[in-house]
Amino acid sequence: MDVPEDVGTVEAELARRLLWDTPDAVVAVTAEGTVVLWNAAAEALFGYTRAEALGRRLAELTAVPEHRGEARAPGTAASEPAEPIFETVRRRKDGSLVHVNVSQRAIRGAGGGPLVLSTIKDVTPLKVLRDAKLLEAQFRNLLESTPDAIIMVNVTGRIVLVNSQAETVFGYPRTQLVGKPVEMLLPERFRAAHNAHRGSFFSQPRTRTMGAGLDLYGLRSNGEEFPVEISLSPLVTEEGTMVMSAVRDVSERLKAEQKFRALLESAPDAMVIVGRDGRIAVINSQTEKLFGYQRAELLGRPVEVLVPERFRGNHAAHRGGFFAQPRARAMGAGLELFGLRRDGTEFPVEISLSPLETEEGLFVSSAIRDATARKRYEQGLQEANRLKSVFLANMSHELRTPLNAVIGFSEFLIDEKAGPLNAKQKEYLGDVLNSGRHLLQLINDVLDLSKIEAGKMEVRAERFPIRRAVDEVCTAIAQTAAAKGIAIRRDIGEAPGEVTLDRQKFIQVLYNLISNAVKFSNDGGEVWVTAMQRDGALRVSVRDRGIGIRSEDLEKLFVEFQQLDSSAARRFEGTGLGLALTRKLVEVQGGGIAVESERGQGSTFTVSLPLQAAARGAAPEPST
Amino acid sequence: MSARILIVDDNPTNLKLASDVLRSEGFAVETAQDAEQAQRLLLQQLPDLILMDIALPGMDGLALTRRLKSESRFSHVPIVALTASAMRGDEERALAAGCAGYITKPIDTRAFGRLIGRFLAAGGS
Repeated sequence: MDVPEDVGTVEAELARRLLWDTPDAVVAVTAEGTVVLWNAAAEALFGYTRAEALGRRLAELTAVPEHRGEARAPGTAASEPAEPIFETVRRRKDGSLVHVNVSQRAIRGAGGGPLVLSTIKDVTPLKVLRDAKLLEAQFRNLLESTPDAIIMVNVTGRIVLVNSQAETVFGYPRTQLVGKPVEMLLPERFRAAHNAHRGSFFSQPRTRTMGAGLDLYGLRSNGEEFPVEISLSPLVTEEGTMVMSAVRDVSERLKAEQKFRALLESAPDAMVIVGRDGRIAVINSQTEKLFGYQRAELLGRPVEVLVPERFRGNHAAHRGGFFAQPRARAMGAGLELFGLRRDGTEFPVEISLSPLETEEGLFVSSAIRDATARKRYEQGLQEANRLKSVFLANMSHELRTPLNAVIGFSEFLIDEKAGPLNAKQKEYLGDVLNSGRHLLQLINDVLDLSKIEAGKMEVRAERFPIRRAVDEVCTAIAQTAAAKGIAIRRDIGEAPGEVTLDRQKFIQVLYNLISNAVKFSNDGGEVWVTAMQRDGALRVSVRDRGIGIRSEDLEKLFVEFQQLDSSAARRFEGTGLGLALTRKLVEVQGGGIAVESERGQGSTFTVSLPLQAAARGAAPEPST
Repeated sequence: MSARILIVDDNPTNLKLASDVLRSEGFAVETAQDAEQAQRLLLQQLPDLILMDIALPGMDGLALTRRLKSESRFSHVPIVALTASAMRGDEERALAAGCAGYITKPIDTRAFGRLIGRFLAAGGS
């Protein structure tokens, strides 16, 4: 074989080439740890050029920032390496970590000083495979059983293990995940920060939620970002500390929350959602407007801040009551409720409450409506109604005065007190008198109705025999009935002997019903009056075989000024008030009235009255 | 001698009706349209009964009734109120003011005389 001319030169060249081209990083440091040798592989592994590395302390370049049990400080014990070959973690120039296999040997440098020569292999992928193998065996079944996506990461930030939920959520098969930096699952903009955070987690590993209060996002294989919640736990293994992150895709929940917020915002009412602790959890912007607060001023405050001082004590107690028996209902039924604005003013409100079950427990959702306008409107209506009643009372008083003369003088004349009359004069005066009386009845009915509506109708209950009252009314109508050849038949055998009612009103009711029956009966017909005791009540029916009432008109029957059929109205003169008044005269005594009718077959009106009218006095009259 | 009735009513037509009806029943009737006129007449001659409309201009019928009832020379004369019966409480107030009773308008011309006769009999006892 050929022997080179200068073996020494060739060897030196070869050694230099070998040192430079070897795939392993070769680094030599002095006893003080100063780098004196840094080959190309070291440049590639750690990211520092030879020029950058030479003369620097190795620890500054490659030591992981925090002390880690498994990470032996580089470049120490140069004279006596404890172990010639070991595995550890080193830092690259970009801050990322690598698992390395280090083989060290103490040598004597050219200058005579001791050096440590290290050959460093990047074993990160190998390490991941080892870790994965170990973790797979220990945790696979456990991980598959949890609903969240689980991603285990080792100290170098490489994914060592994922469960199938993680594959589904992120859209990668596990082969494409294991061994990769976990940052691949994060949107670009979060990656740098994540690296740093990961480092600090490993320096102080404890179970906690990631990025509390921050919006976190994951990145799917298709580039789609999605909101996540992540909890982290350290997992100490013989291969070092891992971090286990449980990732929950909260897109659906956020969507649901957004929908819920949109719903809250679209509600016309102010919505205030309060937790069991009485603190405001959620409000909508209508609440801000109604109460004059900014959202931030209300969230977390006790809801009583919206309640006037004098109601606060009770409110807190009622709130407890609601949580004890949660069901949707109006707050403080029948009570006047008030809200308190930020500026201290009060306003009337209507509030409805409903329980709201959430993952975080039971809340109460209250819809609050400003009742100011309604109150004002109601007061206006009441006042208008009062004025109407006063007006009607005054009007009917004014109308009676001339009627007194019309009726009085025509009576006086008909009775020939002012001299004899011929037949025609008598007939015409009779017409004047009848019209006058009709007008008076109309005025009386209007007045009675207005009294009832104004709550000024008194019930003066007295004990009286039914039979006598029925007889009295029938006698009063007998003449009119006889003129039409109508027979009034009575059946009061089953009636109670006596009742305690407002006798005058009872008679008025009976009179109205029987005279109606006579009025709407055909000539020669019959009217039946039945009184009986049923279910502890007095029931009086008046039945005719007259023209009857169309079913669509039955509802209008008891309403003021609703005479049903205009042609009938012409034939049967009436005020259109009789039945409305009759109903009210019955109701004011605690009774009710009903009608059954068929067109052309006749009608039956049935009045039910208590045997004893509830004592119901009118408001005292203001003295004049 | 027929009983003397003083009718006080501001409405001349109603005043005429009441007085004509009573005259036709044989009463002696004097009329006044307000409290002042009524008091002047009372000073001249005491009637056996006063028919008093409640709604009078100026001093109303109830005030006049109270005044008459407080004076010994008039207090024994029965006063019967004429009410329109429209305002609930008119009757009660009439009785409270000292009226012996009340008659509601419109008057029933056929019963009016009898009614007055009854009040006269009660007042005289």
